[in-house]
Amino acid sequence: MSELSVNHLLGIKYLNKEDIELIFKTADHFKEVINRPIKKVPSLRDITIANLFFENSTRTKLSFELAEKRLSADVINFSSAQSSVKKGETLIDTVNNILSMKVDMVVMRHPNPGAGVFLSKHVNASIINAGDGAHEHPTQALLDSYSIREKLGEVKGKKVVIVGDILHSRVALSNIYALQLQGAEVMVCGPKTLLPKYIGKLGVKVETNLRKALNWCDVANMLRVQNERMEISYFPSTREYTQQYGVNKDFLDSLDKEITIMHPGPINRGVEITSDVADSNQAIILDQVQNGVAIRMAVIYLLASKIKQ
Amino acid sequence: MNILIKSATIIDSSSEFHNTTQDLLIENGTITQIGNNLNNPRNYKELRLENLHVSQGWFDSSVCFGEPGYEERETIENGLKAAAKSGFTTVAMNANTNPVIDTNADVAFVNSKAAKNAVNLLPIGALTKTSSGTDLAELYDMSNAGAVAFYDYKKPITNPNLMKIALQYASSFRGLVCSFPQENKISGKGVVNEHITSTKLGLKGNPALAEELQVTRDLFLLEYTGGKLHIPTISTAKSVELIREAKKKKLDVSCSVAIHNLYFTDDVLADFNTNYKVLPPLRTKEDTDALVAGLKDGTIDIVTSDHNPIDIEFKKIEFDHADYGSIGLESAFGALQNIFTTKKTIDLLTKGKSRFGVENTSINIGNKADISLFNPETKYTFTRENIQSRSKNAIFEGVTLKGKVYGIISNNKVIIN
Repeated sequence: MSELSVNHLLGIKYLNKEDIELIFKTADHFKEVINRPIKKVPSLRDITIANLFFENSTRTKLSFELAEKRLSADVINFSSAQSSVKKGETLIDTVNNILSMKVDMVVMRHPNPGAGVFLSKHVNASIINAGDGAHEHPTQALLDSYSIREKLGEVKGKKVVIVGDILHSRVALSNIYALQLQGAEVMVCGPKTLLPKYIGKLGVKVETNLRKALNWCDVANMLRVQNERMEISYFPSTREYTQQYGVNKDFLDSLDKEITIMHPGPINRGVEITSDVADSNQAIILDQVQNGVAIRMAVIYLLASKIKQ
Repeated sequence: MNILIKSATIIDSSSEFHNTTQDLLIENGTITQIGNNLNNPRNYKELRLENLHVSQGWFDSSVCFGEPGYEERETIENGLKAAAKSGFTTVAMNANTNPVIDTNADVAFVNSKAAKNAVNLLPIGALTKTSSGTDLAELYDMSNAGAVAFYDYKKPITNPNLMKIALQYASSFRGLVCSFPQENKISGKGVVNEHITSTKLGLKGNPALAEELQVTRDLFLLEYTGGKLHIPTISTAKSVELIREAKKKKLDVSCSVAIHNLYFTDDVLADFNTNYKVLPPLRTKEDTDALVAGLKDGTIDIVTSDHNPIDIEFKKIEFDHADYGSIGLESAFGALQNIFTTKKTIDLLTKGKSRFGVENTSINIGNKADISLFNPETKYTFTRENIQSRSKNAIFEGVTLKGKVYGIISNNKVIIN
């Protein structure tokens, strides 16, 4: 198979296993490209991409922009901390205005779950979801799996625990879908207040004890506590959160085996992981960032080739 | 108005002609003869329709027509047209207008708009001033003007003491107090049922617990105060159970369920279609099963379309921002018939009247003609063509329905589609 089964990347749950394999194979190629002295290919010279960020983002936006530029696409950026609705313009109107300037592809981050799905039904462009509320963040999950594959050889059969604020996390949801699709076992771990009540029905293990979780896993993906998404306090203090769900080097060294530490960033150093964990050999956090560019190049390239048809 | 209805099957268990096929002669709005092969000496208009069935006129306890203030969504005139086309002879209109219907004069305005219509419009007054949940509206005065119940549409009374006072106060004139079953602190910013679907979609969940806590609170209050309580649009299995127990204790409580909450489960939300965004949210199979059982055993008194026209500007947007609600009058009969027998459907569409102070007029000689006409067998796919409402936010769009409505005879008027 040489093309994706979808015309948009709205979430991992809309992909199949072959799609993920194709994205990884394509990313392998682009990873080689971005490590060359000339890090650029002319593949998408005829494609224009709009990056629409209706929510703050630093690394995802940079990563997408870099991926687009490495592919020689024309890039325009639109950032608004406010959703367009608050300004009185609808999302469809905002995007159609931009599309009328002959844009082929939209990369969108939006605070509302399903915003990408909604847009894909109402506008004529290929949509890449760069995070929609607590729904999905598919490129993050792809780069996470890709990094696991790089570090451990394959994803299949691996035990991965996602630690932290699962309730407010699109990263967790996309990772669950992606890992399960590739045959990994998934556990979520965190205080019960930050675990969706019905998360177990997704076929994941649920654990509130971090030591048990880390002794079980091969890989721990440590999520950031998203204080900005919480209307009330889900735990009494950051200090107490760290006591129960923070990983320091002593903790890591005391485990039964050597596990891999991941983090989607930005890290709250000293909260979910300490600096010596983040900077240890067991952490692949910066590999994730580098792989993010290759994965996004692959996704954009594969979707663009469907537009060209 | 004089008309001779030819060979209609009468579905009305309170009529001696129940389950028989008869001709009905209606003169000046009154049924004057029922029998086989009635003559037509005065040459009245004759009505012959395929597989025609008639029943007592149907009742909907919760519709919204947007007038005054939201005429872009729906007007009273067109809303009543939609009701007639859908077989309803009586509808109770919610107070979620602008201004909110919270005074005698507002009730009078609604009454004047609906006067002389074939469909009876029963105004529901707000329970609190401007439905803001702080002070009681002038309930007695509104009741004198014709308000049949008091309800802050879809807005829970968060202050339990205010609900206590409302029940106590209205009991002196037998006023029907309605309380939307939702504990706002628990429902939080939830937009869909908290369950596996909300988890999969990343949408904030509104747990069944929020409804059940409020139902429990209100039943406790009712037990303390006496009075008449109606809990509109329950949606969870446990709510049914709670009300079943309360009825065993002889509390004066009634409740309704929206037809879409009977029919759909939350898995239809998979692609974020805002037509499925309703309040209370669509729940699980366990809940719909319990709701159906609750209707069958009489725990739930009333089914409602919970007809709520929303213009497209508030629906064709991101799911979180979209308004709650669906129109439902036009699809009510056909959807119910997908779940229940025709006899049960008719029973459900007529039995709620007395709770809202409307007399049931059985199909018998000498009674006022208050009749719905329909063919229970026709199957069709519900599309925009079937919508009379100004707003097209129909949760049943695309669903195959069973049974087509021909129209109504009511208030000395005949309305046939």
